[in-house]
Amino acid sequence: MPIPKKASLTLIALAAMMTAPDYIPVVNDYRLMDWTMVPRVLDFQVRIRSEDPVGDEQIRLRPDTTPEKAETPKLVDEKGDLQRFYAALHATERRDEGAVTRILHYGDSPTTADLITADVRALFQKEFGDAGHGFILLAKPWAWYGHRGVTVKGTGWMIEPANTAELRDGQYGLGAVSFRGGTGASSKISVKDGGHTKIEVAWLSQPDGGTFMVAADGQTVGTIDTASPVVTPSFQTFTVPDGYREVAIGQVKGRVRLYGIRLMKDTPGVEYSSMGVNGAAITILARNVGEEHWGEQLRHVKPDLVVINYGTNESVYARYVDTAFELELVRAVKRVRKAVPEAAILIMSPMDRGQRMPTGEIGTVPPLSRLVTLEQRVAAEHGCAFFNTFEAMGGPGTMGRWYLTEPRMVGADLIHPMPAGARIVGNLLYRSLQDGYRRYKLALAKEKFGAPGV
Amino acid sequence: MLLSSSVYFFFLIGIFFLFWPLSRWRAAGLGVLLFANYFFYAKWDLFYLGLIPIASSIDFTIGFWLGRVQGAGWRKLLVFLSIILNLGILAVFKYAGFFLEIAGQPGGRWEWTFPLGISFYCFQALTYTIDIYRRDAKPTASYLAHLTAVSFFPTTLAGPITRVADLVKQLEKPGRELLAADGSKGLFLIGMGLTKKLLVADYLAENLVNRVFDFPGLYSGGEVLTGVYAYALQLYYDFSGYTDIAIGSAALLGLKLPINFNQPYSAANINDFWRRWHISLSNWLRDYLFFSLPGKRNAVMPYLNLVLTMALGGLWHGASWNFVIWGLLHGAGQAVSRFWQTRRGKTEPWTPTWWRTFVTVQFVCFCWIYFRAASLEQANLIVERIASNSWSVENVSGGLWTVFALAIAGHYAPKAWLEKPRDLFVRVPFYAQAVVLLLLAIAIQYIAATGAAPFIYTKF
Repeated sequence: MPIPKKASLTLIALAAMMTAPDYIPVVNDYRLMDWTMVPRVLDFQVRIRSEDPVGDEQIRLRPDTTPEKAETPKLVDEKGDLQRFYAALHATERRDEGAVTRILHYGDSPTTADLITADVRALFQKEFGDAGHGFILLAKPWAWYGHRGVTVKGTGWMIEPANTAELRDGQYGLGAVSFRGGTGASSKISVKDGGHTKIEVAWLSQPDGGTFMVAADGQTVGTIDTASPVVTPSFQTFTVPDGYREVAIGQVKGRVRLYGIRLMKDTPGVEYSSMGVNGAAITILARNVGEEHWGEQLRHVKPDLVVINYGTNESVYARYVDTAFELELVRAVKRVRKAVPEAAILIMSPMDRGQRMPTGEIGTVPPLSRLVTLEQRVAAEHGCAFFNTFEAMGGPGTMGRWYLTEPRMVGADLIHPMPAGARIVGNLLYRSLQDGYRRYKLALAKEKFGAPGV
Repeated sequence: MLLSSSVYFFFLIGIFFLFWPLSRWRAAGLGVLLFANYFFYAKWDLFYLGLIPIASSIDFTIGFWLGRVQGAGWRKLLVFLSIILNLGILAVFKYAGFFLEIAGQPGGRWEWTFPLGISFYCFQALTYTIDIYRRDAKPTASYLAHLTAVSFFPTTLAGPITRVADLVKQLEKPGRELLAADGSKGLFLIGMGLTKKLLVADYLAENLVNRVFDFPGLYSGGEVLTGVYAYALQLYYDFSGYTDIAIGSAALLGLKLPINFNQPYSAANINDFWRRWHISLSNWLRDYLFFSLPGKRNAVMPYLNLVLTMALGGLWHGASWNFVIWGLLHGAGQAVSRFWQTRRGKTEPWTPTWWRTFVTVQFVCFCWIYFRAASLEQANLIVERIASNSWSVENVSGGLWTVFALAIAGHYAPKAWLEKPRDLFVRVPFYAQAVVLLLLAIAIQYIAATGAAPFIYTKF
């Protein structure tokens, strides 16, 4: 029986043509065939499927490595800015009366989806106590908005995020999103866990302000008239029966402008608010929100730590990174410092951001490492702490690696982490802060009892 | 070893040049193919080298006795044993985790044993014993031919599900040779499959589908809807691309595999869709499951059987409620369509064909949401986003629209348009064929967005 002549010749000719670039110098750069792949035909790899790929990645990243010995420190706090935060955390850990540690985490899309913040919140609250969900927007400005353990439904609101609103008056509340509503505007916010005993509502008092009501589990707890001769942010806290599951807010009369609610508990613990805005850049804090208005909101909440976590959206604009980003970040930092000088500030770098290279491999967008360096410099120059998320999660190319894990740890956009990836980042941040806190307590002990003898 | 990877083609060419010189001796030729089959399995996991020969040998023995014994009771017992064996393999290696989860036990630890392509192996293996039981086929006397047919490597990962008896018949045929035209058609099909997979399916997946299905909340209703349509095209190009490579590979070894697709999105109703989509699976479900269910003469049972068949077909794709819902939707769609056709009798439908095709495609795409989404919650979120009345498509790039349009045109193009270039390819001399394949390799190297992503259907 003859060997199939034509098919054989076609295959041989094809192989010869594909090999040609290896031997002809002028077309050396256009190699089509990777002959090193041939031996791989005989490569029988025993497939070991990990039972816990997330756990494996955690171990690989060694979050528990002694920070002082790490090649690239994940958490840098040269001026000791976090001491204030640690002090608050210490009081909370001691269960001092009313000792609530408040953290406001400002960021972009992963933060508005509560992707990383939910994990950090859970870890803090497990260790130090749960003081409530913190600040929640009144409705979903985008389908992506979320807060783990809380369901938000709102109708009839004109929703204006500070970074995209046509109304440029700067009055966007603590969460940088304003909700204006007339007849029929209402919201329902449900919580899965019990124990919340206080609801704080934030709104804008203004000359032609209308009225809205607040109810918990169907019982009206208060009606608020937002009319006022001056335009000013206002807050009211309602004490409600322990164990309520649903807060309802609805317009009653006229037009009202609201911002959100804070869900609080009466116990010492950590209140961790995620304050993300979709597509946001640092400009949202540096310019879009009004300095006085936002400052007043910050002063009212009295945060112990403000996390400034931007850069992902800016990282693809090389010119912006090189010319404007640093100035904007400094401006935002100064605003926070001026409003709440007693609060610690942590600049948190963005995660890796992947992009397809011409070779088909997934690399990191080039300006990202420059942006991270700028953030670290601003933190050092302005006495803030800095968390290098980018390096902590593995540095350049991490998203490429995470995209190829099974299950995937980053989405196909190579930007947003899947829940497993978010858990890793959340864990890295928490453990780094925990390390710092341990060192703080050790220093306290040394101060109190003296250095241990030798 | 993915069928679109360079390693696979080194392997295939190696087998091609080993097989044909030896194929003049039947046993030697079969030996090469069997070696290729087990080599292919072993590349995925050495575990198969124990499972597949043992299961195939048991089926061969059962087939042998089915050909010998005449008593109805014994024959039933034997075929029952084969069904238990093959469905048992599926139950243990594919569904144990799912069933444990339903029973409230942690089933995650079972996932490691999930063997690739085992669903296709089991369905293919069952055709042998059931056909002999029904006296539609005779048992083969050649143990080697049976082992080779039941584990034929191009069909291992994602079909087409081929009747073992048909393959055995081809393998036992003496004096096999590869005609120049058949070899050329095989090469053309492989090239076509690679184009479909790497230049269309993977492009749509990388640039829209995966993004939308990962985070539907980040996209507008218009973008999510485009993502769903793009997924319908991606799945078609991915799976039919795989099938083309499988059929082309088999053709190079002188074997013919059944077709699996026939312009599925041209179907005028859902029953018609299943005559055009994954034809080998729908034939299998019809011949080996639907026809085996009781109540054929009952007024209601055939409709319920359709729903049940498709629900089980859904479950065959994977151990999750999403697949069950997908199957139930298709089953219900088929039952309604069948009922309507029965009521209408021979009268012509009052709606034009294009309208019925449009409605069918909408229904199929709606069902794909449940097929593709990672969870029921996510599927519902996708539906919610589509209904959100937000129609911006700013996240869909110009390049994607181009590939999207080309994919639609490629699907709906008259068959003759595709046959012409194929016939031309067959006619041209070998060096011109090599040049065409070289140009394709260059296009893949420089245009394809990704490396070798797994074929979607290898998961089932």
